[in-house]
Amino acid sequence: MSSFSVKNVNQIFGTGTAEVHVLHDVNFEAEPSTLSLIMGPSGSGKSTFLSIVGGLLTPTSGTVEVNGLSYNERSKKERDALRLDSIGFVLQAYHLLPYLTVADQFKLVDKIKPQGNLSREALTDVLETLGIKDLLNKYPGELSGGQQQRVAIARALYPDPAIILADEPTAALDSARVAIIVKLLKDLAVKHHKAVVVVTHDGRLVDSADRLYEMKDGYLTKSTPEVSR
Amino acid sequence: MFLALKEIKKEKFRSGLIVAMIVLIGYLIFILTSLALGLAQQNTDAINSWDAKQITLNSNANVDMRQSFLTKKQVGHLSRQEALIGETSVVAKAKSHKQLSAVFLGLNNNQFVYQNLNLVDGHRVTNSHELVVDTAFKQEGYKLGSQFKLNGDNHKYTIVGFIKNAKLNIAPVVYGQMNDWKSLRAITVGPVGSAVVSRDASYKNNANGAKTYTKQQVVDKLPGYQAQNSTFILMIGFLMVISLIIIAVFLYILTMQKLPNYAVLRAQGVPSKVLVGATISQSVLLVVSGLIVATLFTVITAWIIPANVPMAFDIPVLGGVGVGLLVMAMIGGLIPIKSVVSVDPVSVIGG
Ligand SMILES: Nc1ncnc2c1ncn2[C@@H]1O[C@H](COP(=O)(O)OP(=O)(O)OP(=O)(O)O)[C@@H](O)[C@H]1O
Ligand SMILES: [Mg+2]
Repeated sequence: MSSFSVKNVNQIFGTGTAEVHVLHDVNFEAEPSTLSLIMGPSGSGKSTFLSIVGGLLTPTSGTVEVNGLSYNERSKKERDALRLDSIGFVLQAYHLLPYLTVADQFKLVDKIKPQGNLSREALTDVLETLGIKDLLNKYPGELSGGQQQRVAIARALYPDPAIILADEPTAALDSARVAIIVKLLKDLAVKHHKAVVVVTHDGRLVDSADRLYEMKDGYLTKSTPEVSR
Repeated sequence: MFLALKEIKKEKFRSGLIVAMIVLIGYLIFILTSLALGLAQQNTDAINSWDAKQITLNSNANVDMRQSFLTKKQVGHLSRQEALIGETSVVAKAKSHKQLSAVFLGLNNNQFVYQNLNLVDGHRVTNSHELVVDTAFKQEGYKLGSQFKLNGDNHKYTIVGFIKNAKLNIAPVVYGQMNDWKSLRAITVGPVGSAVVSRDASYKNNANGAKTYTKQQVVDKLPGYQAQNSTFILMIGFLMVISLIIIAVFLYILTMQKLPNYAVLRAQGVPSKVLVGATISQSVLLVVSGLIVATLFTVITAWIIPANVPMAFDIPVLGGVGVGLLVMAMIGGLIPIKSVVSVDPVSVIGG
């Protein structure tokens, strides 16, 4: 069973002469234990695609089904709950709440969703892997861009979501860190059976992908047949 | 609450500024309210202390005790519930003391107003030219046994007792005998007093030329009383509205700055109500801590304020004003809620 599927999605912003057709008949399926990589140049519609997949944006036409139920069939509350439980966003602009320390960013998740989050040990593992274990008492403003990005990744993984959507997760990182993040995402797919979808124009990620797609001017195409693991 | 507390902890300076502003507004309103109450009480303390319900005055006196004269016939028969009062304005003069304007009230020894006078020092008037005076005279340096002249009367008056909060129309009251009232008023025949006060709410005097009013009617007609009160009420009301606007603007700006953060939380599936809760509890925390500090300042002020400043710190009234401010601030804090609820999580994705 697919974790989520995107069917014939079109996204048009604006009307009349200001109309921009950003996504054209996009079809996509994400499966558990799979790392899907969507490559595309700036402005090709990658972030728009993720917004629609995450249920933040209702497409002009087409449907997105998560766990067999489309967003149209869910109330706003249910969509919130779905995002809280099942979707981990790693955002392109890695916003962290400026007035929460790194530790409190996780505590906040505990407050809102008391159950089903990573255990203390599992979180420590993630923090160690990401090399941010010593930053727990720091505020985001005291971290470098790359450190913030890694905290944002840990924050997205903390609720233990079944689906991970990452928008340019490696933009601010050097190659050594990229390798670590790639391994982490890959482990999430392989060991923890998550459906991981990464959109990027960072070519350094290509080798790790189970499936590779290309986004160009709003058209999504499978660029290489499924590579065997 | 978690988010609100964490934010206040991180943004100490910013939160401090807002609290400071609420402290100033709260303090100002508390002090003004106390002043208003103090002034109002100094207008009416004496009348209230008699526990009078009805007051009979000359019908041509424009409901003003000072302008009223009643003849023996108009006073008529008085029961134990009634007392005759003679009022006149006086100026107390003594060597080595400032002149002091006061209200002379002549009483009869056998009537309830005289008998219920609650002295803090000395004894009641038993002879002509003896006075029981408001403690304001103490503050001017007068003591028991001190003597002074009233108006042009050459015979000196002696203080035999002190009484607290005996104020009428903001002037200290001196209680004396009815005969002294007559001589101060230079009356030989005719009027026997200015007013009849009664503890009986159903008391009615229908004598020709006399009219009976409720205590409140007389109080409302005290010169300047209503003007003062409405000025203060208007001032306090305006301040409340202004504070509402100021607090609302501050909380609005504070919340607007956080909308991008809230958008991220919304994208992560944090329900709107958590964010609304954070916004409201932040407002409550800031406003309540501001009001607590303002209350502390007010208490300190009440301690150190000189006794001659007409201030009354009435806890129920100040409590009410405090709650009013809190409600105003809450209304102010609710204005940005609409933006919080409608924050668009799509905005956080992209770049
Ligand atoms: N709300 C909107 N209104 C109008 N046009 C929009 C809106 N959001 C996105 N677009 C347009 O849609 C196109 C795709 O935007 P999108 O953010 O998805 O690109 P992207 O592939 O993520 O680019 P990048 O790699 O730079 O992040 C862009 O041309 C953008 O201008
Ligand atoms: Mg983008």
